[in-house]
Amino acid sequence: MDYFEPKTLREAVSLLARYGEKAKVIAGGTDVLVDMKFKEEPLCLVNIKRIPGMSYIREEKGSLRIGALTPIREIETSPLVREKLPLLWESAHQFASLQIRNTATIGGNVCRASPSGETLAPLLVLEASAIARFSKGEKKLPFTELFLGPGKTLLGAKGLLREIEVPLPSKESRGTYLKHAVRGAMDIAMVGVAVLVTPDGGGKKARDVRIGLGAVAPTPIRAKRAEKALRGKTMARALVEEAARIAASESSPISDQRSSAEYRRWIVETLTRRGLEQSWKAVTGKEVDG
Amino acid sequence: MAKAEYSVLGTSIPRLGGVERVTGAGIFGVDLMLQDALSGGILRSQYAHAKIVSIDTSEAKSIPGVRAVVTAADAPDVRYGRTTIDRYMLAKNRVRYMGDPVAAVAADSPAIVKQALKKIKVVYEPLPVVLDPEEAMKPSAPALHDDMPLPKNLPADAKVKNVCSYTVVHMGDPDKAMAEADLVVDEVYETKMIHPQYLEPRMAAARLEQNGRLTVWANAQAPFAVRTDVAKLLALPLSRVRVLSTDIGGGFGGKASGITSGAAIEPICALLALAAKRTVMIVLDKAEETISTTIRSGAKLYIKTGVKKDGTIVARTGKVVYDAGAYSGFGAMAGARCTNMLGGWYLTPNVHIDGYVVYTNKQVCGPVRGPGGPQAAFAVESHMDSIAAKLGMDPAEFRLKNMPEAGDRIVGVPKLRDVSLGETIRIAKEKIGWGKVKLKKNQGIGIATGSWIESAGPGGGAMVKVNEDGSVTVHIGKIDMGTIPGFGIPLIVAEELGVPVSDVMVVNVDTDASPWDAGTVGSRGIIVSGTATRLAAIDARNQLFRLAANQLEASPDDLEIKDKQIRVKGTPSKSVPLATVATAAHTAIGEVIGRGYCDNKAMEAEEKAHGSSQPFTAHACIVEVDPDTGNVKILRYVAVHDIGFPIHPAAVEGQIEGAAAMSIGQALCEQVVFDKNGRTLNPSFVDYLMPTINMMPRIETTLVHGYPGSGPYGAKGAGEIGCVPVLAAIANAIYNAIGVRVTKLPLSPENVMRAIREQKKPAS
Amino acid sequence: MSLNIRLVVNGTRHRAKIEPALSLLDFLRDTLGYKGVKICCNTGECGACTILFDGKPVNSCVVLAADAAGAELVTVEGLAEGGRLHPVQQAFIDTGAVQCGYCTPGFIISVKALLDRTRNPTAEEIEEAVSGNICRCTGYTKIVDAIQIAARQLQGPTGLTSKARS
Repeated sequence: MDYFEPKTLREAVSLLARYGEKAKVIAGGTDVLVDMKFKEEPLCLVNIKRIPGMSYIREEKGSLRIGALTPIREIETSPLVREKLPLLWESAHQFASLQIRNTATIGGNVCRASPSGETLAPLLVLEASAIARFSKGEKKLPFTELFLGPGKTLLGAKGLLREIEVPLPSKESRGTYLKHAVRGAMDIAMVGVAVLVTPDGGGKKARDVRIGLGAVAPTPIRAKRAEKALRGKTMARALVEEAARIAASESSPISDQRSSAEYRRWIVETLTRRGLEQSWKAVTGKEVDG
Repeated sequence: MAKAEYSVLGTSIPRLGGVERVTGAGIFGVDLMLQDALSGGILRSQYAHAKIVSIDTSEAKSIPGVRAVVTAADAPDVRYGRTTIDRYMLAKNRVRYMGDPVAAVAADSPAIVKQALKKIKVVYEPLPVVLDPEEAMKPSAPALHDDMPLPKNLPADAKVKNVCSYTVVHMGDPDKAMAEADLVVDEVYETKMIHPQYLEPRMAAARLEQNGRLTVWANAQAPFAVRTDVAKLLALPLSRVRVLSTDIGGGFGGKASGITSGAAIEPICALLALAAKRTVMIVLDKAEETISTTIRSGAKLYIKTGVKKDGTIVARTGKVVYDAGAYSGFGAMAGARCTNMLGGWYLTPNVHIDGYVVYTNKQVCGPVRGPGGPQAAFAVESHMDSIAAKLGMDPAEFRLKNMPEAGDRIVGVPKLRDVSLGETIRIAKEKIGWGKVKLKKNQGIGIATGSWIESAGPGGGAMVKVNEDGSVTVHIGKIDMGTIPGFGIPLIVAEELGVPVSDVMVVNVDTDASPWDAGTVGSRGIIVSGTATRLAAIDARNQLFRLAANQLEASPDDLEIKDKQIRVKGTPSKSVPLATVATAAHTAIGEVIGRGYCDNKAMEAEEKAHGSSQPFTAHACIVEVDPDTGNVKILRYVAVHDIGFPIHPAAVEGQIEGAAAMSIGQALCEQVVFDKNGRTLNPSFVDYLMPTINMMPRIETTLVHGYPGSGPYGAKGAGEIGCVPVLAAIANAIYNAIGVRVTKLPLSPENVMRAIREQKKPAS
Repeated sequence: MSLNIRLVVNGTRHRAKIEPALSLLDFLRDTLGYKGVKICCNTGECGACTILFDGKPVNSCVVLAADAAGAELVTVEGLAEGGRLHPVQQAFIDTGAVQCGYCTPGFIISVKALLDRTRNPTAEEIEEAVSGNICRCTGYTKIVDAIQIAARQLQGPTGLTSKARS
């Protein structure tokens, strides 16, 4: 196995250009090292942790910019994230164990592109963008387009994630991330639901609703039909329940050793409903009516 | 505080070997560093059921750094087994589950081993796979063991296949009694396979010595059984094999190779060492453990009970279908225990239960912590609540209504000496707030009881050597996996010999030097080795007194040992240091070596005459169910146990708490999952969900006193019984929380949800 | 192709030549001989291999040895000072939280890290600190006792939170 510790982004990207599919990028290592031990060692391992300036959380012009190598634990303990992106904070807080959070990076979680990746549904709902470096320059890839399938992103074999840019939601928005598991944070999410609601000035209608679903499709997805059913409407119990049902129908979970597809759909419905109710109450102070 | 009559017994001393463990000393089997050792690895079957057509190891052998490659062809044609001799150490001609060992490699490094294993070419002819034991029993099922006859005691008209053992329990006239009952409740329960999942990987190491003997290191619970199996499977004289046990990082019955005759890797390691003429060490990895080593079997339990209107049980019938796995392993014994226990431990005059232990193409049953008990109790104790509900009776009252008393007979036990069961129920009720605590919506209380007979069987001995400095070295045949060598044994020696606990050492088992022992299993530790150690310590003390008597001008009967001094009772100034007397032994008798053993026959006779003094327990818990996800949270958990006299209370509590936790895992999150081809889908901890601290309630343990057991000072075995009532306690609490009875384990969110939805469906 | 790395373990400087694919767990246990770092699941799920990496608890089985170049590591072997056990070690022994002892090193490191972060942990903080440490023997009850006792010990005789040592 060839092994490199590039000291600059340019060096890293040129290695990826050279090796293509034969190279594997390792950040924290919590996924890649397990693969190396139990599946296959890659022909070339590119360890990007020696590239300086890749771990940071900065507020800039209405967004939070988070370096790809920022450990999940730092995101969890960042007062900035807790205050400005509580949705992301919640996913970091439910991410495996403390030991893993100290090692795993947000970039690693995104590039792994597992449908159940903890931070993915929240970032999708927050309409984050991935800033990726290629040999020809940088591209800003919206999360809504980034994921192509399990383990596959627009980065391909030759792109390197440098930063995640997360626009700060409006002050009138509130969100929540609900993870369904048997044990708790330690589990890989059986279902993950991220919700962001923005009421209108009157506090009765939803100006904007965003619903992100994890672990129930080949990629994290937005439940667009469910969102449409709510956007601009008066928030009412029956409507919320209907939207939750729609969200469940938009998911395409599989049956596997963790649970059946049918059960996952039930949970999408339950957690979507709860996510909407909780977020609505958090921002308006009121229960969803009716 | 020690009980008034004892100086140290009943105190929770810091564990012997505690300092080593908290400072990370390399005392476990996997920590072993042997000079010049090769790495070993095992190739496992790729099919759950297949003929082995051919094995070509030539390419593997030619890899640089590979020192030996072995298959069944390199081993004597000898099989092993506990009750049925049905298994080769390396599969010969047939593989019967995906973990079945097919070949093994010894090489210079783990990486080369991995490479070589990939290059072994095995040609299989797949055979039909059967995973469900009821399917396997059908005449149309594939035969998993062509040359194993059906059990002789099967009823003549039984048309079954793949049954490796059959037990029938019959008392009175159950058909008549059932027909005359006021109410009959008929139910089916099901449990799934779980793996003991000890944290320390299983290992073995073997070295051929200069003098031709084979030394084997094993982190095994039964070193003497390992010696027997290695000798037998390699066709070596027993005297050529020496087994050294290490400290063990958890066993729970899963590291009991030899006893269970399943997944024994020691003989494979020894074969490699002989073939390579080098020391070899094998360490299994987690995924490999889950798919190949011994497990707690799943079972299907049919249970039917007839009761009178007033709640008196009049009849119990049922059937147990116990999943042995690919080989008989410990299946027959576990299945028999399960079948007996399905009769319950209440007064039940008329009983008929059939128990079938069945081969399937899966991992093999081992003596995993209370084998057969949790499965039976899940059915029995859930069923008790079902009956109570139909009678409109309080479940605790229903149990108390059918309570046996001293002298009574229960299923499987001709006579009980005394019965603490009623008291454990009353205390459990009180501790949990039964009938008193205010519960919120979707919260419920459940109660369940259990018993566990410390397994009958071979005994074991002890030797207590008093060194010339007055320190004491103890040899027993039991190993330390968090068990008696660290806790009860040093206390017993300290008590009987009047030495500080810090002066006592309990050494690891060396089959050349330690007394023979059946193994650290079956809740037998304190009973067998505790008894033996006590007698050995008393013997040593008597020898010391005889040696000291002259010097002290007293009769040996008038002497005592206190604070490292042997002195005359009542005249403490007439004393001589213990060390002095121990040293004096050199010129007199050589050394003070006390010897003791546990007289199994005497214990059996005592039990026959006066009745069984087995332990009883009641557990109670409060759960909260999320009716929209099925998640179950245990808010409080109470475990009330009669363990006779607790020699080391914290150790006894620790065993109870750990056993309960293991069953909480089985209840809420653990199971081995298969695809239809028999492949284990969740071999690693990613998807084999181990209970974590955040889902575990504080287990509040209460020990009940006044019911002495057959162990030393009235102790009872504590290692397994904590596993028994848990599954039903939680299922009963769930029923009381949301009115839904879940009859299939695990009580996972999905299974609970399905039961909720099933209940809501309008009756067709 | 091998790498030369330098690192500090329990205050001792080490230099080694390693293969790049080597995990920190295998490096510590097999290359350097620190058997106090235990191997169990090898996939980052059980915490038996927990060590402090520049003061932070990590599962050494999912960290590259190469990433430890220049780092300061602490294993359970480095906690006792001059023959005196660290209060966390002592508390584990005293409460009966050590049964087989295999999970103990990982727990002790996680707990030490917790009490370095906060001397007065809430029940929630305790749970968070050790949710990634599995024990199969104790059922956790006595481990929680040990953590609470160790916390009180480190708070000092006045019971007030004493200044955290660096």
